[in-house]
Amino acid sequence: MDSVGDDAPLVGRTATLDAIRTDLLDTGPGGTAAVFVTGESGVGKSRLLRETADALRAGGTAVLTGTCLDIGDASPLHPVLQALRRRGSAVTEVDGDAGALLERVSRELRAVAGERHLLLVLDDLQWADRSTRQLLLYLLAGLGDVRLSVLAAVRAESLQGTHPLRRVLAELRRLRWVRVVDLAPLDRAGTQELVTAIAGDGVEAEDADRVFKRSGGNPFVAEELARDLRDGRVELSDTLREIFLSRVDELDPQAHAVVHAVAAGVEPVEHPVLARVLTLPEDRLIEGIRNAVAHRFVVGAPDGYRLRHRLVAEVLEHQVLPAEQAVLHRRYAEALEATGSADHTRLAHHWQQAGEPQRALPSVVAAAHAAERLYGFAEAHRYWSLALDLSCDASTDRTELLAHAAESAHQCGEHQRALTRLEELAARPDGPGECEIHLRRARYLAAAGRSVTAEIEYEKALAVPACTPGEKATAAAYLAELLLHLGRYADAGARAREALRLAEADGTTADLVRASAALGFSEAFREDPDAGLAVIRHAVEIAERSGHPDDLGCAYLHLAELLTGPLNSLEEGVLVARRGAQKLAEMGVGRSYQTRLLAIAANGLFRVGQWAEAERVIDTAMRHRPSGADAVELLLARCRLWVGFGDIEAADRDLDAVATVLAGGGARHVLPMLTLRAGLAMWQGRHAEARAAVQRGLTETRSDDLVLMGILAWHGLRAEAEAHAAGGTVDPSAVRRLTTVVDRMTRGVANAAPPVRAVIDGYQDLCAAELSRIEDRHDPHPWARAAAVWDKRQQPYPAAYARLRMAEASFARKGKRSAAITALREAYATAQAMGAKPFAAEIAAVAARARVTLGEPDAVAATPAPDAGDPLGVLTGREREVLAKVAEGLTNKEIGQQLFISERTVGVHVGHIFDKLQVRTRVQASRVYLGAV
Amino acid sequence: MTVSVWGPVHQDMTALLTGQPDDVPAVVDQLTKLQDILERVPPLLCSNPLADFNKLYLHITTTVLDRLYEGRFADPAFLSRLDVEFAARYFEALRHWSQGSAACPRVWSVLFHRVGGPDCRPLPSAAAGVNAHINFDLPFALVTTFDYFGSDPVDDGDQHADYLQINEIFADAIPGLRRGYLEKWQLLIDTINGDLDDWWQGETIEYARNVAWRNGQRLWSVRHDLPATAKERERLDSNAAALGRLLLSPLGALLQ
Ligand SMILES: Nc1ncnc2c1ncn2[C@@H]1O[C@H](COP(=O)(O)OP(=O)(O)OP(=O)(O)O)[C@@H](O)[C@H]1O
Ligand SMILES: [Mg+2]
Repeated sequence: MDSVGDDAPLVGRTATLDAIRTDLLDTGPGGTAAVFVTGESGVGKSRLLRETADALRAGGTAVLTGTCLDIGDASPLHPVLQALRRRGSAVTEVDGDAGALLERVSRELRAVAGERHLLLVLDDLQWADRSTRQLLLYLLAGLGDVRLSVLAAVRAESLQGTHPLRRVLAELRRLRWVRVVDLAPLDRAGTQELVTAIAGDGVEAEDADRVFKRSGGNPFVAEELARDLRDGRVELSDTLREIFLSRVDELDPQAHAVVHAVAAGVEPVEHPVLARVLTLPEDRLIEGIRNAVAHRFVVGAPDGYRLRHRLVAEVLEHQVLPAEQAVLHRRYAEALEATGSADHTRLAHHWQQAGEPQRALPSVVAAAHAAERLYGFAEAHRYWSLALDLSCDASTDRTELLAHAAESAHQCGEHQRALTRLEELAARPDGPGECEIHLRRARYLAAAGRSVTAEIEYEKALAVPACTPGEKATAAAYLAELLLHLGRYADAGARAREALRLAEADGTTADLVRASAALGFSEAFREDPDAGLAVIRHAVEIAERSGHPDDLGCAYLHLAELLTGPLNSLEEGVLVARRGAQKLAEMGVGRSYQTRLLAIAANGLFRVGQWAEAERVIDTAMRHRPSGADAVELLLARCRLWVGFGDIEAADRDLDAVATVLAGGGARHVLPMLTLRAGLAMWQGRHAEARAAVQRGLTETRSDDLVLMGILAWHGLRAEAEAHAAGGTVDPSAVRRLTTVVDRMTRGVANAAPPVRAVIDGYQDLCAAELSRIEDRHDPHPWARAAAVWDKRQQPYPAAYARLRMAEASFARKGKRSAAITALREAYATAQAMGAKPFAAEIAAVAARARVTLGEPDAVAATPAPDAGDPLGVLTGREREVLAKVAEGLTNKEIGQQLFISERTVGVHVGHIFDKLQVRTRVQASRVYLGAV
Repeated sequence: MTVSVWGPVHQDMTALLTGQPDDVPAVVDQLTKLQDILERVPPLLCSNPLADFNKLYLHITTTVLDRLYEGRFADPAFLSRLDVEFAARYFEALRHWSQGSAACPRVWSVLFHRVGGPDCRPLPSAAAGVNAHINFDLPFALVTTFDYFGSDPVDDGDQHADYLQINEIFADAIPGLRRGYLEKWQLLIDTINGDLDDWWQGETIEYARNVAWRNGQRLWSVRHDLPATAKERERLDSNAAALGRLLLSPLGALLQ
């Protein structure tokens, strides 16, 4: 009872089919490709998908096909899990987080593919749930490490309005390896060919022409009209609705029943289920099915029956009485229960349509739990809401349902709903206590961006007598965190102290860690970094004792952020971050924390100029298969390296991957992406592109984000200066806007915390210097100043850049050459050591123009690649350097002075060296070193 | 489908509309180019009603861009995205119209139909465009914007405040829609029947934008339900189209 055989031959799509096939196999640098076919209903999308899949399968591609359901509330990842289930692999729950689930699904997909390329076909994507869309983007970004192509069909009608796919497609189609094919109806000749194929050669030209006019080239309609023609039926109708209705009327009663039943079902409808739904004797049932298939309504497959076309269901829906419909659904629900189905989603759907809310409720609740197990919080939230709709006010479990509904709404970003549900919950006599309500309300309000009201709510929690000291500790810790975000450091510090005091009695480790972190940052921002550091270090100790992954991850994250952020203690920050990641990895927990810690380490390494090491760290982190924001963070970090190394292709690839993930939403990362785009464009001499990226960035930067403004303004001015230097034109309005931004920064910096001020100073110097370049002043002084500031911040890259420009300006002025030459050579050595190829090339070009020889790069700075037999192979580049000094017999203090790092940091390095070399004294360590070199 | 709805500038128009701006500077750029093209559409040239609207819209968007550069919004990423999504709907309506597609919202068709004449007063024309854009496009743009940020339209937050700032810009730009004209407009509204009247109780842009915010919230709540969204879309389109027709009728001239 297969359907494929009796399809009319495919008409008028040869070119499209070829093009799609080529596009699908022409994967981008990430190893993936996608084609989205859009078009009106009946235009032939599903058919095209089928034909393409067949062709590729024949060519040796592994094909996996899934269809999205139109039942409104599908379970998370439905089409993909369904496709996998058909291959015998079931994914019902995964421990860990949403990322672990994505990784698990990718693994299944890799298993299906084996050595072959994989084609994932998704039909009716307009009905896909949020998690499916996210999985799709994850896969297309190459994060799942599956080399695959995606072929999906989307009904054009549903892309109007607010459909999220509309935006996703708009973003994706900018990428080179994504195509959106808008499938047009057949033309006159095509329609004629179809008509002839169905009704035979004897068809009058004018009849065929009428079919074209009436169908508008829609193959579905044309096909049916042609059948009418062939069968000599009087043409009564040209809307699909009418065509179908007249056809249904012609069916015998059994077949009629079959069609109606399948239309009301969730496809595929298994035979035993259908048999229970229709109370027909077996032979009549079989006959009915045969008939429905013969009349091209139903198709049969090993897993069950489907309508040949879902449109039929839409048409029939209006044809049956609501009562009939309800009966069918009730029978479905009963049949599913009788056959022992665990498909809660389907059961919930049928009971609900059957008008039996009480019986639907348990299935809906089960579906909600199942969705949560698959981290589909948006789906879970919809089920919880549905459960509430189904339950009455008096029912006993309403309170629990409300609690779930509120929390799931909060988790999936439905803030308004979360707050409304919480109010209902608060009004329940058996609801949670006053204190918990305040705490939750405050959390929800803060998430909704209503910080003023959130603050009041936390204060209430702190004031009510009903709250235990433990609960108050939680409130104070959260409040401290909120105040910190609002930049009220003194208040944050006070609340954090209060939290610590309260938590001493009976607080949780989580509260202690949160409060310590807030206190640490507030102290650091208020110029007492050591006090701040001491508090967070203490928190790390507490977390280590508790051993809970969240506590550990959180504490290490805060410590690393404090060190690499406001304290600018980059090396130590990197060490801490790596140690934290290592600890969690040894425990085999906290995947997301590990990734975030490694991202901090990589960014720190980038800033101190240890790029090769940064690349290694990112490689390790990527092996954790991060997803979502974590993945974007790492991709951006890696892309920054590629830009520095001058590997344009790799940089483009990572930017594409970032754009793919971000097509699903997420504003936080757009700005870093734009600065990278600007940086990349500048190396390629594409100044207009750099300018556009900067302008967009500036319009989207919050006015309190001074650091980002600094980076963007510098990039912008640099792009103008570079355009000018290349003989291009400077855009005066862009320069004017950029100077306005610099002024805004100057005003803002007056109120900023000292650590922020220090960073901004660095960018302001760079901006001032670029302006002098735009104005042809050839003034080395602003550049010298910038170089000094960045030296002090221990960031060799911007410092070296400033040195290059300083030398350039001096040469142009014909000033003293010796200082300029020294600066240029220093810059060159730095660039070489980091592996910054385009930068080094530019220095070399300036040197050539000025007839300066740069000499050999500093041999010490280049880190030799570790090899297996080398006992020092386990050490990082920096650790080797420290060890070399140790072997010279220097003290930590002396080493610190020589390497421009703090004595404390040297101590940490030495500790690590001991650990890694498994030695306990400096003498032993020196011996290993001397034995190896 | 007519061969070329835009006459001699059809090609320029089609070429321009293939661009899909994704930031506010690019939207301003596209609107500027569009203005140039619209003023070349015969027979009305500079006095075609769509050019009147586009000019106003360009002015408003430029002001938004200036404010973005000045750092006047609390959440500029949100506002930029909204601006882009908002403009995308206008460009898409134009695209549909150019292709003679039935998907062109009626509320826009009402205005587009008048591009070929007869002549219309600039203020009602601009108002008809504003009507289409705010009463129909804006709620959808709000929903897609919030969906992008993974959050929802919450009253009294930063985003709501930024959103309301746009009211000022509109009010400054259309003095004609401010107080003095309200009675006349009320008179107009009174002449037409029920549904519209309920819906359009207040008349200032400020009011309309709040209606849009609320419509946005309503759409948000049904956004997973395709039939319900389609129904809502239909409702918004027919209401706004009725008002648009009214604005462009001889009665609309009263506003001038
Ligand atoms: N090019 C073609 N040549 C012959 N038959 C075709 C062609 N395209 C489509 N058909 C037939 O038309 C019918 C409808 O096509 P199909 O189911 O692919 O539409 P669709 O675009 O997927 O519609 P929907 O959006 O409703 O799912 C099918 O029976 C299909 O075999
Ligand atoms: Mg289909």
